[in-house]
Amino acid sequence: MKPTVVKRDLVEDYAIDEGVKKLTPERIEKVVNDVIDNETAGRLWTYLNTCIHCGLCAEACQWYISNDRDVSYAPVTKVKDTIWPMIEKKGKVDAEFIKRAAVISFTECSVCRRCGMYCPFGIDIAYMLLMVRRICARLDMVPLYLQDTVHSHAATMNQMWVKPDEWIDTLQWQEEEAQGYVPTSRIPLEKEGAEIMYSVIGPEPKFLAQLLGNISVIMKVADQDWTMPAYAGWDNSNMAMYSGDFEVMARVERLHHETAQRLKVKKIVMGECGHAFRGAEYDGPTWLGWMSPPIPLIHAIEFYEELLRTGRIKIAKKIEGPVTVQDPCNVVRNRGLGDKLRYIMNAVCEDFVDVSPNKRFNYCCNAGGGVINCGPPWKKKRVEGNRIKAEQLKRTGAHTVVTPCHNCHSGIEDIVDTFKLGMHVKFFSELLIEAMDIPANLKA
Amino acid sequence: MVNIQKWDWNTKEKMVADTTGWPNQFEDVQEPYVSPDGEKIASIVKQGEGEYSVCVNGETWEEPFEKLWSCRFTPDGRVSVMSSRDMEWTMTVDGEPWETAYEYIWDPKFSADGKLIVATVKQDDIFGIVTNGTTWECPTELQSISSFVMTPDAQTVAAIAQTVPLGQADVDTYYKGTWSIVVNGKPWENNYVNLYGVAVSDDGSTVAAEHRAAITDHTILVNGVPWSEMYSCTWEPMFHPKKNDEVTAPVRQGGKWYLATNGRIVWDRGYVNILNPRYNVDGTKIAAVVATSFAKWTVAVDDKPWSCTFGECVLPPCFDSQGVTAVAIARDSGKWFMVADGKVIGDPCDNIWPPVFSPDGDKMFYKIEKNGKFYIAVNGKIATGAYDMLWDPILSTNGADVLIRGIEDGKYYRRVVASAAM
Repeated sequence: MKPTVVKRDLVEDYAIDEGVKKLTPERIEKVVNDVIDNETAGRLWTYLNTCIHCGLCAEACQWYISNDRDVSYAPVTKVKDTIWPMIEKKGKVDAEFIKRAAVISFTECSVCRRCGMYCPFGIDIAYMLLMVRRICARLDMVPLYLQDTVHSHAATMNQMWVKPDEWIDTLQWQEEEAQGYVPTSRIPLEKEGAEIMYSVIGPEPKFLAQLLGNISVIMKVADQDWTMPAYAGWDNSNMAMYSGDFEVMARVERLHHETAQRLKVKKIVMGECGHAFRGAEYDGPTWLGWMSPPIPLIHAIEFYEELLRTGRIKIAKKIEGPVTVQDPCNVVRNRGLGDKLRYIMNAVCEDFVDVSPNKRFNYCCNAGGGVINCGPPWKKKRVEGNRIKAEQLKRTGAHTVVTPCHNCHSGIEDIVDTFKLGMHVKFFSELLIEAMDIPANLKA
Repeated sequence: MVNIQKWDWNTKEKMVADTTGWPNQFEDVQEPYVSPDGEKIASIVKQGEGEYSVCVNGETWEEPFEKLWSCRFTPDGRVSVMSSRDMEWTMTVDGEPWETAYEYIWDPKFSADGKLIVATVKQDDIFGIVTNGTTWECPTELQSISSFVMTPDAQTVAAIAQTVPLGQADVDTYYKGTWSIVVNGKPWENNYVNLYGVAVSDDGSTVAAEHRAAITDHTILVNGVPWSEMYSCTWEPMFHPKKNDEVTAPVRQGGKWYLATNGRIVWDRGYVNILNPRYNVDGTKIAAVVATSFAKWTVAVDDKPWSCTFGECVLPPCFDSQGVTAVAIARDSGKWFMVADGKVIGDPCDNIWPPVFSPDGDKMFYKIEKNGKFYIAVNGKIATGAYDMLWDPILSTNGADVLIRGIEDGKYYRRVVASAAM
């Protein structure tokens, strides 16, 4: 097989650059074969033996399209340059090969699964890249900032090194902020037997605390019986799922779901995050032996759709001007919430302008799958590798793009900034707070 | 332990408080809590802008606070709440704040007799454990405390604590170990990468925890000494109720879960998962939640799974007071079931709470929810009327009477019912 021609700017990443020095042929061989022999099964072999190397997956990938159809970014090439040789050579690959495999799997693929839809056989190419990540993780070859995020999960059970007191203190601060709008707003902590446990991802208390205040107001207006955990288990995010540290992934998910069990709630409603939904609904439960979350889980899109459809929240004044949306891969392509997302967008926006392609065919933000968590060293490549997204958003003419996912939010912000699109990037709850009717008896 | 025989077991019914007027009395009324003896009901109430108090049986405390949270009764019936004034926090018990205030205080726990209240505190960015207002003396400036456990008498407290400062993305320091176990203020000798599931023996002599050294290298530490075996993953250890040198934990090897005691596999069947093992009262049996195959959840007792399985989950099991019958709450098809020795007891419910047992182990009493109302069920049969809110039943020491604490139409009742009549 001909080697791939790869042209990339040199990127320094301390963890990868130092990690590669510690690799030995024996260690690589042992880990590769252990993962292939003991952690994969018929699924991987079916994919490997079914792929006819047709390359139809290439046109699905935002990396490939945005990089002028450079074949080194095609999904099939990413497989060809990583897991195929590992298996063919029975783990006898060198340290530089592993380094390149780490760079490909962590920083050039957002495991968004768009390519799988374009594969004539439906091969889940992202799964194979995740197995490459698993091998790299066991070889300590994970990009620095992603690894640091996983360390945070492992040490604190949240993504952002939020300490126990900071979490509660932030909720109480945001409860006060919310009371400026609705005096009886509350963030009920540890309320056993509530209908809903609301969970969020680490960046909310760390950087986007106003979202916690917003949900307090929304819950009050919608008259919901809800609670939030005061202790670890509140964070539903899971970058360990993407680094390949499945043991930490499982520990985080177990705590999240057992927290809901401990609080005796009927369901978990999670904030606007896509990867967190994937971890909490699919990957985490599967590793733990649950078919689905032991306490039912719904994403914010489903929650808001229900509140608006049933009239629990009424709209006082719709958002003016053209507004568009980003379909998060993990809840639209992989969960099918595209129609519900459009229902809520139309409910609060006077002029909702859809993207094209949309729903499950939408382009990934390029930040998901842990790519944005690889941090500043890899930002330029990540953003420039999604020019197609910038062009797509620009075509809408919208002044605002709604991103019901934290990774999408950060990734789209970077795209808007880099490509000078002049758009606001907002979560849906921010629009809802602006547009919804607050009954007179609740007003300050 | 609290001597519950001193409680009033003679008054058959008492309407302790009518809470229907509380929402008109205050700007906001939070969810109520009741005392173990059933004599008091308390809610955090908002009296005005930045003015909070606790309303106990209709009476509020004299001095309001700027903020209050976590209103809970101690086992001996006092109201505890974390309170804030002038940007400082402390514990307030029956309206009296502790003398010392902190930057923050959280995660309160009570000794079995209720005399001691233990909590995590932060002061000047250093974390610590406080017992009744006295913070432990620790030679290391703790950067964080993730969790703590204690003996029933609260004389020994063991915490998972960050002992070494860590800079942003400093993976090298992280891998050297920045966490340790701190017992009554004294850190273990070594630092570790990650620690989880700390447990302490009832006599306080032994502390165990999970240690994650690397991505697939886990083991159990007992008083700082690791088991000889490493595993790809572990779950939290537990102590034998009679032997403080016998520690048992679920461990994962070759993609399957086993139960190991002191590093030796004692359940060798191999499961998709093992969660929440529990000993019976004398330590002769172990029950644990297991998945015998994917999404087939049940309970195994001494490595023998029940024949019935549940598709969604099984909650931590327990044994009856004689240590014979294993009981667990299971979920399937969106409903909850009470299960005893592998048999479903009673109808499916919208929610079920853990049971209490008669002294002879023949009867179990537990709270259930059906169609938005709450009841006490006995061995699968509803044994009370419907309540809008209800707390767990409490049995008298001899098991003759059951204390029922519940709210009907806003009125909080304390009722004593003969267990034989239920």
